[in-house]
Order: sequence, then C-alpha cells, then structure tokens
Amino acid sequence: MRRKIRIAVPSKGRLKQPTVDILRRSRVEILERERVYDSETSDSRFRVSFMRAFDVPLYVQYGAADVGFTGHDIVVERDADVLELLDFGFGLCGLVVAVPKDSHIRTIEDIADVPRVATEYPNTSRRFFASKGKQVEILTVRGATELAPMLGLAEIIVDVSTTGETLAKNNLRQVAVILESSCRFVCNKIAYRAFEREIRELINKLKGRERVSS
Amino acid sequence: MKCQRYIEEKLRESFTLWGYEEVRSPTIEYLETLSTDLGSELAQSMFKFQDFDGRMLALRPEMTTPVARMVATRMFSTPEPIRLFYISNVFRYSRSYIERGREFWQAGVELVGCGGDQADGEVISLLASSLKELGLSELRLDLGHAGLFREVQKSTHLDPENSQIFRTLVGRRDQAKLEKFMSSNDFPSTLEKLILELSEIRNLEEAASALNRLSGLQKAKRFAKSLSSVADVLSDYHLEGEVYFDFSLTGRIEYYTGVVFEASVPGFGFSIGGGGRYDDLLLKLSGIRTPAVGFAIEMEKCLQALQSQGSDLSPIPDDFVRVLVSSISNERAVETANLLRDSGVVVMVDVAYRTRKKLIEYAKLAGMNCLLIVESSRKRPLTIYDVQSGTKKHLTVRSFLQEIFRGRTQ
Repeated sequence: MRRKIRIAVPSKGRLKQPTVDILRRSRVEILERERVYDSETSDSRFRVSFMRAFDVPLYVQYGAADVGFTGHDIVVERDADVLELLDFGFGLCGLVVAVPKDSHIRTIEDIADVPRVATEYPNTSRRFFASKGKQVEILTVRGATELAPMLGLAEIIVDVSTTGETLAKNNLRQVAVILESSCRFVCNKIAYRAFEREIRELINKLKGRERVSS
Repeated sequence: MKCQRYIEEKLRESFTLWGYEEVRSPTIEYLETLSTDLGSELAQSMFKFQDFDGRMLALRPEMTTPVARMVATRMFSTPEPIRLFYISNVFRYSRSYIERGREFWQAGVELVGCGGDQADGEVISLLASSLKELGLSELRLDLGHAGLFREVQKSTHLDPENSQIFRTLVGRRDQAKLEKFMSSNDFPSTLEKLILELSEIRNLEEAASALNRLSGLQKAKRFAKSLSSVADVLSDYHLEGEVYFDFSLTGRIEYYTGVVFEASVPGFGFSIGGGGRYDDLLLKLSGIRTPAVGFAIEMEKCLQALQSQGSDLSPIPDDFVRVLVSSISNERAVETANLLRDSGVVVMVDVAYRTRKKLIEYAKLAGMNCLLIVESSRKRPLTIYDVQSGTKKHLTVRSFLQEIFRGRTQ
C-alpha cells in the first residue's frame, strides 16, 4: 500500500479560497477537517495540510509535503529548490518597489544615497537592488509594509501589489516591478519521481479548471 | 557519531569489496584547481582565502576535482583503470544554505582511465549496491546524459541567456510554460515535439528510439544509444526495475560530459547521492585525455533517509565487555587495565575518584558491564560489581577473564 500524497494548501490570505475551489472542481474536495491543520479529501490518494502560503515552498522542498499551492514570489523569496509544475491564472500580483508620492525618486536610477527599504521580501529585494548597482539598507517587517514610509522608518518599500489601490490609499507610488507573480503548483523533486502518474493526473484535472476562477 | 560511523564503515566495506582503494586529499587546494569546470553555483559557494604569497586558496566543495588532481599529478604510472574511493568532509557556503550547515560528509568513488558503458554501469551499480547494503529500500536511480541535453540545447540555436531559461524551464517541468517558450522562440515543430516527448519518457530505450525517429542530431543519437547500452549493463546487475530516464537531469556541475545519475528513495525529499561521467576534466588538469566516471553519496542525507524509512540505527551491538576499573592505587588500576586490554576487554580507568555508589551509577549510564575495584595489594582478589544486577563477587584477574570468555562462547 502506497502512502497518501500530501498537498500543502494556504490556510489564509488571497490564495486560500481559489486553491480550495480549484481543488474541489478537480474532484479533490477537502472533507471536514479532522484537526486544525490536516484533512482527508474526497480522493483517497490525497491528503491536505493547511499552512501559511509563505511556508509552502519550505515544506515542499524538504518533502514534508509532496506538492503544494503557493505564489511564485514566495518561491523566489525562499530560494526554494522545487519544481513549478503549473502556473494558474489566479493570484496575479507584482512585487513592486514603491515610494511616497512626494519622493524625488522617479525611477530606480534616482536612488543616490543609501536609503532604507522596508519589506517582507528581504532576499528578493537585496538581489534586485544589487543587480541595479544600488546600495540600500534592507529592513525586514512582517506585514503593513505601507506604514514604514509614513512613520519615517524607510524611504522605500518592496511589497506585493495587485491593483495598486492599497499603494494609492497610503500615498505611495510604484517606481519599478521586480517580478510578476501568480499562484503556482509546486512539487518536491523526489516526490515527482515517486508519484509521477498521480501528480500528472492531478495536473491535468487542475489545468482545465484554472480559468474559471480568475 | 555511532550512526555516522556505521554508514562510513558499511560504505568503506562495499567500496573495498569492489576493488576500490581509499585515498585522502588535502582540505585546502588552489582555488584555480578547484574551480576547473565546476560551474558558477558551486564555485560561488567555496570558502576562499589567501596564501602567504597572495595566491588564492579554497576549501574543497566536492571531491571529484581533488581526486582527479591527485591522479593527474601523482599517479601517472599507476595502471589504468584506477579505482579510488574517499570518505571526506567538504565545505560549502551559499546564501540559500543559510539555515543549513557549512560542512558536509561525502563518500564516493572515481573510476579513472576508462570510458564505455561497462564502466558507467559498474559505478552506477556500486552506488545502488552500497546504498542497499546500508539498509535503504525502494531505491530508485534516475539517469540523464549531459552531452545529450547539450546537443538538444545546441540545436535550438538560442542565445546564452535564453538557453539558460530553456534549461530552467525543462528542469522545473512546467510543461505549459515550456510549450509557450518554445513556440515564441520559433522552435521547429519536430524539435518541440521531441523535447516534450523526452521530458516525459522514463525508459532509457524509449529515449533512444524517440531520437531515432528524427533526422539529424547524430551526436545526440549516439549519446542516447550509449544510455540504452548502460541500461543493458545495469540489467546484468539486476537493476532493470530501478532505473529511469530523466531528460532534465544534467547535473549542476559543468564538468559532466556523459551519463549523469541520481539515487533517491520515495519517502525522503532529497536525492541521496549522484554522479556522472567527466571525460574532459583530467585533460584540463593534466593535459592528458583520461576518461573517468564517479559518484558521491551525501552521508548526512543518507542517515536522514535511513531514519525516515524507520531503519533501526541504534548502535551496532559489538561483543566487547566493558569494565570500569577503580583503585586507590593508580598504579594497580593501570596495571589491571592493561592486562584486561591485552585480552580484548574494553577498559576505562576511573579518574574522578568518586564514591562506590557514584561509580556504579556512572558505569551503568556509560553502558559498562561491570565495575572492578582493585585493591592496592596484589594478593587480594578484585571486587566485581555486576552493573545490571547489582550483585558483587570476588575473583582474580585470571578467573574474571575466564568467566567473561566462557560467557561469550555460550
């Protein structure tokens, strides 16, 4: 008897509901939760575990979960060595550089001194500014990044933005896009070998359903 | 430590039984030597520093190049093929390794001075056999070919940047993205079909026949044919059910030229070991063309994989009798200890001068069989406390030895 394939599903945030929906439409319905983090599905070959989308690449890279749903931005930030098997149409967003509306910075080129950058994405930010030849001080925050310029913690922020509405509301202006992201179906490299047939079958089911939710 | 030793000893035994000889290489080498064809990822991960004369040195990040360097500089009169193995620590630093270690242990072999499918087959089989000897089950070997991938990549006529993107996409197995990329870069439809097909094929013979259906790509065809001959050799070793083709597997190290392979078990999320053929590395190091093939097993990964399979790695029971010797006369304690050691008994001499009660407690916790109290007069017998049962008796050294060895033969 082969063990069940474990799917990591975001437990909250913007990726949670679309993920649960697309799984249901692919006939992998999440049944009543047994415990807070764990549940059987209508397909007896799969089990799901709920966790923060930010942790999905980690669980999958180490094989604690076999496959999972998470954002491409998070895979990049975590520098996770995982397979990205499918790009869904949903969860679209950009990881952007933003500054207060009255800032003199119009483009990345305008950065002159060593400004402070507040972000939840320190690794991606560090790589981005280094590639542009700009020296910055990275400050890692947990959420509410928009607050940082307002209180004078940082002159620049790096954050995800879907419509730009939150940025505008907080008097911020986008100056660059670091990367475009969307929800991805990620997989552990060894698990792909061990469960290739089942995983490919699931991908084919997921594929037909991706547009409906976007 | 005992678990690590167990793995080390088992692997050493396997390698030795296949005729491989152990070598040891310096931890520090010239950066230039270590960087030969290594590829940027591993080259960036090296700990680098300066020698007194300003030359750059580095800690070895892997063992193939150091061993190849040894062969190139010191073993030119050794008859080929040369079979060597090593069990060594290697050092790597990388930002993505932030939460991981910097020092890793690798056990591996190099078969130098011999090309051909039989040599490839031997090395791959030895990898499989030594991992199985450790107790790993459901082992799986995935084989790719660095040359085959390079030939297909070359035939796409992509610029270096797009070539890299192509390699990443094939590696990520995102079929939809790969298809989009290929059509937007005007891949001929036959090539596009071949790449998608090769990505899905898991059987080595099928890979060869998929290529044979096309015209051109002569070199790639030769490589695929050689892969299927390796598969033949592996079936002589009864490995046919455990071997799979993986087009995307090319090895992260640049020096690979031929077959590349990786070993894994289904319940564990990382590969346990891998290697490949590197026919040009020795040419670059010594100027003499010398084909070679080898593998490295990641020993920490191996241990974790064994644990994930529920392997019992509790210390291997040996049949040593362990005793703690204590005496108010250190001279007598040492004398008795040496007598017992000469007869193959494991002896620790008490150096903490504790009370008898504390000594018995310590002996028990330290896994000793008994505590021996030696009187300062040679005429008086030893007092022997059986640590488990708590009983005590008086015996001479000779009768104590007789008793333990009688116990052992029973």
